[in-house]
Amino acid sequence: MRQGRKSYLSQQQSAWLLLAPFLVTYALFLVYPFFRGIWISLHDWNLLAVAFNPDAKDFIGLRNYERVMWGRNIEWGFTAPLLQGLGLIGLAFTAFLHRTNRLSRFNTIALGIVSLLLVVLPGFHPGEGGRWYDRRFWPTVANTVLFVGLTVPGVTVSALLLAAGMNRETRAMGILRTLFFLSQVLSVTVVTLIWQIMFSPRQGLIANITEVMGGTPINWLTDQQFAMAAIVIATVWWSLGIAMILFLAGLQDISSEIYEAAALDNARGARAFWYITLPNLRRTITLVVVLQIILHFQVFGQSHLMTQGGPNDTTQVLVRYIYQTGFRDSELGRASAMAVFLFVIMGAFSVIQFIIGREKDE
Amino acid sequence: MNRGYYWLVIALSIPAFIWLVPTLWMVSLSFQPNDVLARTTSSTAFGLVPLPFTADNYAALFTFGQTPWWFLNSLIVSLGMTLGVLAVSTTAGYALARLDFPFKRTILVICLVGLMVPEQAVFIPLYTMFADLGWHNSYHALILPRMAVPIGVFLMLQFFRAIPQDIEEAARLDGVGWLRIFWYIMLPLARPAMMTLAILTFLYAWNDYLWPLVSAQQREYFTITLGLASIQSNFAQSEGLGRVMASGVIASLPVVILFLIFQRYVVQAMTAGGSKG
Amino acid sequence: MKHVLLTAAAAASFASAAPAQEVTLARFFGACEDAGTDTTTSVGEPCIIQSIINAASAEIDGVTVNTLPTDWGNYYDQVKAAFAGGTPPDVFVMHRHRIPEFAGLGALAEISGDLEAAGIDPADWSENALEAVSYEGGIYGVPMDFHANLWHVNMDLMAEAGLVENGEPILPSSPEELMEHAQMVKDATGQDYLAADFAQFPIGVRLVLALMWQQDSNIFSEDGTATINTEAGANAVTAITQLFDAGLANPQLNYADSQQAFLNGEAAVLVNGTWVVDFYAAEAAKEEVGLDNYYAADFPTLFDTGATWADSHMWALPSTIDGETRAAAMKVLAFINDHNIDWARTGHMAVRNSVVESDAYQSLPHRDEYAETAAIAKDTPPSERYGAIQDVLNRELQAIWLTGKPVEAALSDAELEVQDLLDR
Repeated sequence: MRQGRKSYLSQQQSAWLLLAPFLVTYALFLVYPFFRGIWISLHDWNLLAVAFNPDAKDFIGLRNYERVMWGRNIEWGFTAPLLQGLGLIGLAFTAFLHRTNRLSRFNTIALGIVSLLLVVLPGFHPGEGGRWYDRRFWPTVANTVLFVGLTVPGVTVSALLLAAGMNRETRAMGILRTLFFLSQVLSVTVVTLIWQIMFSPRQGLIANITEVMGGTPINWLTDQQFAMAAIVIATVWWSLGIAMILFLAGLQDISSEIYEAAALDNARGARAFWYITLPNLRRTITLVVVLQIILHFQVFGQSHLMTQGGPNDTTQVLVRYIYQTGFRDSELGRASAMAVFLFVIMGAFSVIQFIIGREKDE
Repeated sequence: MNRGYYWLVIALSIPAFIWLVPTLWMVSLSFQPNDVLARTTSSTAFGLVPLPFTADNYAALFTFGQTPWWFLNSLIVSLGMTLGVLAVSTTAGYALARLDFPFKRTILVICLVGLMVPEQAVFIPLYTMFADLGWHNSYHALILPRMAVPIGVFLMLQFFRAIPQDIEEAARLDGVGWLRIFWYIMLPLARPAMMTLAILTFLYAWNDYLWPLVSAQQREYFTITLGLASIQSNFAQSEGLGRVMASGVIASLPVVILFLIFQRYVVQAMTAGGSKG
Repeated sequence: MKHVLLTAAAAASFASAAPAQEVTLARFFGACEDAGTDTTTSVGEPCIIQSIINAASAEIDGVTVNTLPTDWGNYYDQVKAAFAGGTPPDVFVMHRHRIPEFAGLGALAEISGDLEAAGIDPADWSENALEAVSYEGGIYGVPMDFHANLWHVNMDLMAEAGLVENGEPILPSSPEELMEHAQMVKDATGQDYLAADFAQFPIGVRLVLALMWQQDSNIFSEDGTATINTEAGANAVTAITQLFDAGLANPQLNYADSQQAFLNGEAAVLVNGTWVVDFYAAEAAKEEVGLDNYYAADFPTLFDTGATWADSHMWALPSTIDGETRAAAMKVLAFINDHNIDWARTGHMAVRNSVVESDAYQSLPHRDEYAETAAIAKDTPPSERYGAIQDVLNRELQAIWLTGKPVEAALSDAELEVQDLLDR
């Protein structure tokens, strides 16, 4: 940095030079594959056939999407009263909250859309003599949603409670946090390895303890009632740490003065948690929930390794179906159509996450 | 510290212990003989205490197994990916944060959109693309696809933005070029952010499963995560529970050690990665 | 570290001017990492095959064999991925039922012209074995075995229930008798009569298939019409579900658990393949294992015609292989072919007439107990979508016994989906 030394490159040139590695890799390994995925999804594309003869693919337009998501004689009606009813209540509730101005515009829209989807989506069903072209796709999506629906609240609630309990900078709390966080760094294959044996009705720790207590061990992974629960338990165990850390970070932003003021009003413990912690953490909670939805919607390893999607497809999830369609059945076109569907769902939640992230900055 | 606090610690210790049990059990099983495990997994204290004790599983792992080789692969891939992501993200992050050039906003928006594309949505086209290039079963096939993560760029961008302007301006007045400013001034300042990004990337790379599963078919290029999946898919015929568990322990050791040493950074990394991407 | 050593060894031999041709070999059967090179003493599928491979690598001049992944779970997915990536293994094992799919796409090398030079005599293969590796007039592999479902029997439990005569188990000859026997075992011993993997791998499917074939029926016809929701289908399924309904068998056991139940003496019969005969015989000899008296019986005929599910393992080369590598790969196939007797030790049936007729083969433990199996072995008609079809059946059958889905509904769903697959 000697004085008088002229720089050789202008600001603009430097910028492009510095950006080049990123732009190249980004274009090659993200942008291009993304569009290529859409292109593949418009073809009848057999993995092996195309490998031997690059021309062995037929352009078939949107047929893959139709074959995966649609059917013959599909009708719409109130055939799933429970879910659709819930959706209607949600709509009414949204309208009410909007009228009374209790919700921000964004939340109104989000809640409204979710309720509307609940009313609309479960209503589709095959009519007389009709059928879904792919009878596994929507049940698979439903399983994935169920997995997310069980895992996310499980993780969020337990992480929130633990974080609230451990929100003190002491040595003991530090150790406890470490213990809870430790499982987070393990890889999915280690997690499934551990829990596959944990759940085994013959060798499993859970079965061993049940037997000592005089119970009959449950066939966790092969019983339709428990298989989903089993992979949810393993997942909660695995991914609680990050939610807990995010909550702890959020808790530290709440100034202790608020608590002190509340203590004067006799709000301590559970009351303080309810009236002060929760409202102040609202943004963090939404963030954690959205983050978890995005993360767990892409579940693959737990289902692939612990239950192989079984029993009777009850733990079959979207990414595993994509993998199977692509690599077991060699149907890359159909698999890509499903991947595009996954992207649309993920994209929607990413937009929500982005908007929440922005709210803070403003 | 009042009595309430101690009660809280005790109350929290119970779930914490339960949380630790599965990991503890894996470690304990890995130190028990296979022929015992074939009959019962709860010899002493539900199998949580490794008695009868043996270290044979680890010895066997290092004598015959592929585990050490896979371990090495994971190390190469994870370090390679970490270095790559650091290089790509710091340069781009700096340019986007501190330099002026045309189309800057456009590029920012394109990156933002990229945040929405999950790995699972592009693994098939990536697969065919690498197949056409004949790149599968190589280290670069395992490393390259994750180099272009917009999250890293955003992390660095945010960090560089927070650095006060006057440091740079002083250097500019001295006639220092932009690249030199980046290299000699900005990079040293960015060390904490780079550490965060490095840990985030390393953990991701070490634990990635889907991409290595489709890209690596030859055992030479298995990562430890993939290798572990391949031995647990046939328990009934494998070398025995103890050895499988020992592989699991070996596979987890580096990330656990990394975590214990750099706990503060890991937590920061998770917080940063979590809230932004 | 073995890899490093092998590479070092390969490098060393290269330096000493004897260039070793490396042959990559893909197989399932599971891992056996300390198999050694003694092909005559290894036990169990993984170790026997690995010892043969190791011996091939050591004994064939100028050829080293590099074994690729060995797990079942993603085997065919991985082989396909390798093909699509342009790096197929030089030699790989497959099932005969996969030939239509792979050979149909032109993925397999036609090797009838290479056999003689490599020292393989196809005339020594049994007629069925030759048929197993043939596709549209060509030969696409070297057969290694026939494997079929057996009834593995715990003779002590059977004896307690009075189901042993002249040292042989009395097996049922009708679905009604199956129930009676199961009840007798339950009353006498308190244990289940039958165990099998009904919850994970398609062992239960193969059981139902056999029972359908025994009624001269099949799940689809050669012309591609699914025929699952039939009287024969319902008969086959109810023959099994009656055991579950009466609490005489447990549908929730997977492969490992059902095997463990049998070895612990908690089930009189285990339905599983020929591949475990030597393993169970070895386990039965151990003091601490619950199973003491082991018998490997033919799959009994519960309906009209004898039938049991069967398949073949065979070794194939990719169509892209040529030159030195092709010659080296053929040498490896010849070596495996020469060690057919060693492989038969697993319990599998040999494919070479000279081996089948040999004393060594006839005197293998338990071999005489399932001598009929070769005659009743069957499989579904060839289809390019065998894997997916098997998966549909597995799912719908699991729905019946694990979740109580009505038989009729499950079979009609299965028929619909299999028809979809056949039409695709």
